[in-house]
Amino acid sequence: MAQNDQALLTRLKDSGLEFAVIGGVCVVYHGAPLATFDLDICCRLDEENVQLIESAVKDLHPFHRLTANQLPLEMTRSTFGHLKNLYLQTDLGKLDCLSEVAGVGDFEAVRKQSVVAKFSYGEFRFLNLDALIAAKKAAGREHDQAALRHLLAIKERNEQKENLL
Amino acid sequence: MIDAATLAQMNGEYVIPADAGPAWRAAYAAGIDMSLIEHSLRMTPEQRLAEHQQVIDFLLEVQKAGQSHGAE
Repeated sequence: MAQNDQALLTRLKDSGLEFAVIGGVCVVYHGAPLATFDLDICCRLDEENVQLIESAVKDLHPFHRLTANQLPLEMTRSTFGHLKNLYLQTDLGKLDCLSEVAGVGDFEAVRKQSVVAKFSYGEFRFLNLDALIAAKKAAGREHDQAALRHLLAIKERNEQKENLL
Repeated sequence: MIDAATLAQMNGEYVIPADAGPAWRAAYAAGIDMSLIEHSLRMTPEQRLAEHQQVIDFLLEVQKAGQSHGAE
């Protein structure tokens, strides 16, 4: 199954959802050459936003990818207020929507520690490098340690360049 | 005549920059290919994501081929 992050990002933006890119794609954004097979975002998971997410992917056969029987996304309406995360499989790939990032906080905290990147296909928020490092430290998994080493080296290189200016 | 240092680089030896800080050196010591980070940092963020998408497209093809091969 394809993973088309640009298409997913564009659909989410066009839906009106306010979100920030976190996780592996954010690691790539900051310069680490690491492959990731899903798109992680942070957003509030209130009723309005879940409906926006649903509108963005409804024609992509979305389902909760971690449920035993692949529950379709529309089942979410019965769970408003109980969801902290949405782990979705769509025809454009995996989309994971988290309401908070360990080491950083809820979406408001993520928003304050994000940067807006201008791409040819739109503007998107990405967790800033310091917050991403904090998130990787908090996650503590083995592959997060590898990403962390990359990010710390990149942060150091960025600071060296700033000091030269 | 190619000097020994250049030959070593041609054979894959990474020359750690003289001004590399402790985090850069620690990443290298942990076995990370720092030349890939240098390559990535020369690109804009949009270029990084575009290259990543190409990588993912290819890896998914490889994965599919591997699954087909395993099924034979």
